[in-house]
Amino acid sequence: MARRISRKRRPSPRRSRLKRLLQRRSPNAKPRWQQWPYILGGLAGLFLIYTIALDIIIRVSFEGKRWALPAHVYARPLELYPGLKLTAEQFTHELEVLGYRYTYKPNEPGTYTRQSDRFYLITRAFQFWDGKQPSQHLEITFDHKEVESLRDASNDKSMSIARMDPPRIGGIYPAHNEDRILIKLQQAPSYLTGALISVEDRNFYNHIGLDWRAIARAVWVNLRGSGGLQGGSTLTQQLIKNFFLSNERTLWRKANEAIMAILLEWHYGKDEILEAYLNEVYLGQDKGRAIHGFGLASHFYFDKPIERLNLAEVAALVAMIRGPGYYHPYRHPDRLLQRRNLVLDLMAQQGVITVAQANSTKQSALGVIQDRKKGASSYPAFMELVRRQLKQDYREKDLTSEGLKIFTTFDPRIQTEVEASVKNLVKQLDRSRGLHNTLQTAVLVTSTTSGEVLALVGDRDARYAGFNRVLDARRPIGSLIKPAVYLTALQDAERFTALSRISDEPIVLKGRQGESWSPKNYDGESHGEVPMYQALVKSYNQATVRLGMQLGFGAIADTIEDLGVKQNIPAYPSMLLGAVEMSPLQVARMYQTLASGGFRTPIRSIREVLTVEGKPLQRYSIRVEQVRDVNSIHVINSILQEVMRSGTGRSVQKRFPSKRAFAGKTGTTDDLRDSWFAGFGSDYLGVVWLGTDDNQPTGLTGSSGALHIWGDIMSRLDSQSLLPHISEQVENLAIDVESSLVGNEDCEQRVYLSFVKGTAPKNYADCAGGGTR
Amino acid sequence: MSIKSNLIICFSVLVLAACTGVTEREKSAFDVGNGSTDDQKILPGKNTSKTVLALLQSANEAARTGKMHRAESQLERALRIEPRNPTLWHYMAKLRLHQDRHGEAAGMAAKSNALAGRDKKLRTDNWRIIAHARHQQGDIKGAQAAQEKIQSLVN
Repeated sequence: MARRISRKRRPSPRRSRLKRLLQRRSPNAKPRWQQWPYILGGLAGLFLIYTIALDIIIRVSFEGKRWALPAHVYARPLELYPGLKLTAEQFTHELEVLGYRYTYKPNEPGTYTRQSDRFYLITRAFQFWDGKQPSQHLEITFDHKEVESLRDASNDKSMSIARMDPPRIGGIYPAHNEDRILIKLQQAPSYLTGALISVEDRNFYNHIGLDWRAIARAVWVNLRGSGGLQGGSTLTQQLIKNFFLSNERTLWRKANEAIMAILLEWHYGKDEILEAYLNEVYLGQDKGRAIHGFGLASHFYFDKPIERLNLAEVAALVAMIRGPGYYHPYRHPDRLLQRRNLVLDLMAQQGVITVAQANSTKQSALGVIQDRKKGASSYPAFMELVRRQLKQDYREKDLTSEGLKIFTTFDPRIQTEVEASVKNLVKQLDRSRGLHNTLQTAVLVTSTTSGEVLALVGDRDARYAGFNRVLDARRPIGSLIKPAVYLTALQDAERFTALSRISDEPIVLKGRQGESWSPKNYDGESHGEVPMYQALVKSYNQATVRLGMQLGFGAIADTIEDLGVKQNIPAYPSMLLGAVEMSPLQVARMYQTLASGGFRTPIRSIREVLTVEGKPLQRYSIRVEQVRDVNSIHVINSILQEVMRSGTGRSVQKRFPSKRAFAGKTGTTDDLRDSWFAGFGSDYLGVVWLGTDDNQPTGLTGSSGALHIWGDIMSRLDSQSLLPHISEQVENLAIDVESSLVGNEDCEQRVYLSFVKGTAPKNYADCAGGGTR
Repeated sequence: MSIKSNLIICFSVLVLAACTGVTEREKSAFDVGNGSTDDQKILPGKNTSKTVLALLQSANEAARTGKMHRAESQLERALRIEPRNPTLWHYMAKLRLHQDRHGEAAGMAAKSNALAGRDKKLRTDNWRIIAHARHQQGDIKGAQAAQEKIQSLVN
């Protein structure tokens, strides 16, 4: 504005020159009155060309794609069935995430009631990949920690399974972040168009795009300086302004608006224009997302489809058009209520409703939902993973304009637990090491069988939308690499077993630049000859390097690639101790294959993609590929279980009921800069990284840092014991630690290891009675 | 008629009538002879929950009416509930074979085998899927190895 004012005061030099030129008349020039027809004709021609150009713009825009529809992203739908591990509280939380409303007596989709451990709810209809699922009346009872029974309350029959509608976790928006749900004019309640016309454009069905009477009235009101409800713009003009023009208040913009409004009315019917208006109008802001159209606004403010809005709700939305910020239903409810009532009065005045209807409706509250859970993504880190996966198959433009429906693997319940754990423990660990809030983290939880990503945290502030450390922080993985080294050995079952002796003596090797490199054990000791399992359980560096050198870098790199990490693994000795940079996501890929018994299972964040009409477009289905034989995986996983029982992971065992067995591995890098843990039960795989962004020492080992968070998460999720795949060629034995022979419960120190049949010790230890098996 | 078309999708114990056998098909080097489990239906194990049986029934109905994407979706739902149920992986393998996704079919069948324990019938049928899949992929040696596996299980 200030810029415009200063320009007015100082006319541009160019304009002054033009003025002087016009003033200087040549002696042969025609009299000025004879020039006017040419000037006017030229101006009319220019106007015509300009109008044609505007006409083209209008028709192309209106008949082509009228709106960019962002992709809508959903979490997994909760499957309910008897026996499902879920508490009544967890289910209540799920309903809250879904935006279901508690009422005394549920009477419409999206409402529920609860009496102790018994729920009654009406689900929302939903279009899934496999077809449309109608709304259902469900009665669910919980018993302690699981679903006890599930009934169809409409016919009182028991049900085997019911699928809830999936929570919406965000959208993929175009640059200006507009979001909308398209509606047809027929879907709009009759009150809506009546209210709109009463308030915004009484003469809508009679004018040609401009309403001269309204303009005159507005001018008169402005001249008198008194405020008024009715502006001069018709609905058509408002649509044109929103659709094509800026909010600039200039004469030029107004003139354009007027011409375009007339052109629009010339080409299109009133109902088409009204329908476009219903979908275009701006009705508020949800953080970074702009709420456009009545379709989305009715969901956003009232949590129901537009068809089900009542008179009071319709009037409230129409009241907001004039200024969604000024009449904000949450910030300024009184203002909105007042204006809503004014809208009702105008509707009565125009005969859309009766005065009695208006008066009785004025008594009702605004009725906007209080707990808005849906909206702009609350899970930006997960959304980033989804966006990257989608970008492999779709253009950015399609993602932000085609209204795709993306069904993901995300589990809000698991995410909540992971976030709670990260929030508590990162702060605690940061403080304990005096890191002044610089300790950062990345956590990923997947399903061991399907590879589906269930939860993801990419920053100590779980909802941070910036640098995503799960995907982008590439750090040395330390001892997390060791299972790949030992697995490479164990694949040769005739040569190596868990009890094969390897040397843990000091070793000196040539480094990358030809310098000498002599790795040390964490405890600074050398342990002589040790059984292979012990070298991994205790994470001995010297033994691992010796074994790795024997196996060869190529073989180990092949194992890592087979496990799922496609990157160049450097062929130098320090690689054997994890001088290989990987992101937590890559680490998860590697351990996913171990967790699923040697079957490489791609990590996925998306299940299905539907078109805006709900038609199946693409499915990212489960895939498994056997990359290692089940037997060697059995053996390595038995050692990784021993890591948790008696090795570097043992400190978390106390969090779980005894005998619950997990497999995992700690990782620590030089000077304690990175603290890693990757581990799994039968249901979940978790990878945790802790470190600082500027790669400073944290004072945390894998055991004293990441393992704690992992243990806390798995305990919150009540993760279950690892159940190895069944192989007739493998036997599981208790081994006496002292003699490395087959032991039993009488042996003071024993470990439980798997052996390919025929490779286990043939004799019993003395503590187990001695003798041959 | 191709080998594949004989691997009729038969998901559920509840709708056996829908599952036809192998009466009309060309014989292949990768078929097993006597004792083939080909025409013996692989039924869900006795520990299969009612929930999963309901999903299998739904998958079966979908497959019968040619709605393979729905059948696949129901099977995946079942797998999320019982990921260690070898029969479900077996059905998935059959579905993949039906979809000409041979590599994936072999992976699923191998997964089923890894969970099948001593269920010879299931393992044999899984190896048949692997043999067919490998053959379709041009891996003749691999198909022969799978065939030998079948023979060893049948004998």
